[in-house]
Amino acid sequence: MIKRIKQLSPNALIAKEKFKDFVEKFESEINRGISTLCVLTIIKESGEDGIYAYKILKTLREKTEDILIIEEATIYPLLRKIEKEGIIDSRKLKKGRRKKYYSITKEGEQVLSHITGYYSKLTKAISPLFDVKVNLQQNKYYFCPMCANKIDLSESTAKYCEICGYNIERDLKERRLE
Amino acid sequence: MSEKQMEKLVDDFLKRVKKRLPGWLTDKKREVKDIMNELESHIWEKAEDLSETRDPTMQSMKLAIAQMGTPSSIAREYKKRGTPKIYITEELWPYYIKVLKVAAILIVIGFVVGFIVNIILGDIEEALGIFNVFNVLFFVFAIITVIFVALSMEGYLPEDFISEKDRKKREKEKKKAEEKGFISPKTGKIVKPFIQPTEKIVGGIIGLIAGAFFVSFTVSEIAAPFNSQFLMIIRVFGIFILIDGGLTLIRGIVGKKQVLMHQVFIVVTAVLKIASIWFLLMIYSNPEIVSILYFEGNAWKVMEIPLEYFEAFKNAVLIIIIIQGISALVDLYKAGQLEKYKLLIE
Repeated sequence: MIKRIKQLSPNALIAKEKFKDFVEKFESEINRGISTLCVLTIIKESGEDGIYAYKILKTLREKTEDILIIEEATIYPLLRKIEKEGIIDSRKLKKGRRKKYYSITKEGEQVLSHITGYYSKLTKAISPLFDVKVNLQQNKYYFCPMCANKIDLSESTAKYCEICGYNIERDLKERRLE
Repeated sequence: MSEKQMEKLVDDFLKRVKKRLPGWLTDKKREVKDIMNELESHIWEKAEDLSETRDPTMQSMKLAIAQMGTPSSIAREYKKRGTPKIYITEELWPYYIKVLKVAAILIVIGFVVGFIVNIILGDIEEALGIFNVFNVLFFVFAIITVIFVALSMEGYLPEDFISEKDRKKREKEKKKAEEKGFISPKTGKIVKPFIQPTEKIVGGIIGLIAGAFFVSFTVSEIAAPFNSQFLMIIRVFGIFILIDGGLTLIRGIVGKKQVLMHQVFIVVTAVLKIASIWFLLMIYSNPEIVSILYFEGNAWKVMEIPLEYFEAFKNAVLIIIIIQGISALVDLYKAGQLEKYKLLIE
């Protein structure tokens, strides 16, 4: 975002070093967690075949219309970190350019659905503060009342939330009947 | 421009990145190779994307490399590890405190030993040097702090100081401990064994030998000129050391079982230490009974402590009394601490 602002008038507030620093740090703080969330979502969408780092960056730029940009060098330490945590897995290509393909693990998928749910609920909760509307698509998804885990209504037949163990059977039945 | 020139450009860039990677990463050769391979493939693909013909050109390659950021900025990303906490990361913090404590204990012990030696030698001026302990502590703490801040800035984590072999060994130990239930419910960490059997067996044998030596010394010819009261005290100490050595040996043989027995033996040891204070007080009040054995010519000779060294000697005995008292209290505390192992073993 800042990259664009730099091209604007030199009299803009952001031209002042003090405010520029503040905004840059603030944006960087907001982006840190969201970047990981988006990267994980893109990896999950790539399925079992997985996806390599450069492609993740390209997809992210395309899907967010150049709003959320991860610096080229940042993606590798990030992937390395979440791989160490067991959220994603990787395999190396033996032929051609030695690309590394990343795919999400089973536990990673569960973690992602929980974080996605939490983030979605949070965004919805704070939306009135910014006078914007957030649609949680509750006809498609169920959010666990205990931990906000995001559950796809078309897929889940679970009795308990797999993240926190809350009994969701009755709620799910009612929702499906609706 | 040939592909070879582009390859050289990429290689040069990667070499510069590699040179700047943090120390904890450069030790892991396979990981570094993976990172370099990924960066290389990233640059080539980006150069393809930036080229109008979809075939990388020297210009698109230069642009791709420029967009990657500087080698330092790439390497810096690998240093951003750990949770920040007052210049030292949260992960390194417990180790920082531990190192400070160990350093403080070693320094204080060093100064106390120096103090005792100087008191025994009657060099009061040198003995007063104990007050320099604060300057030394401050200096050493400052050095340790600088080292830990530097390690945090480089992105070191505790796991980087463990070799792959040790890491696997620890994982195995943890698995074993989990199976046996030796995991602390509070911290989730392995509960350390309360006894090192080999250490106790060796210690016990040494104790038995030392105790037997003192007891037999009191009945030897060399000890004949000794003050009888002082000989009795040496004999009592010998018996105490014998008992302590025997109990330690049994504890070593029994090992990590029978927690109650270990507790009882530790309490007995503490009682012996407290009882020894009574005899130390006798020496403290009557330094004239103490006989010193020395070798001169071809024979052992005995002398009493010279009058002018009485005060220094008494101070040294007082310090030993204090140490014995503290040691007895520590033993009692340890015996109490063993309660938690009872639940785990049973």
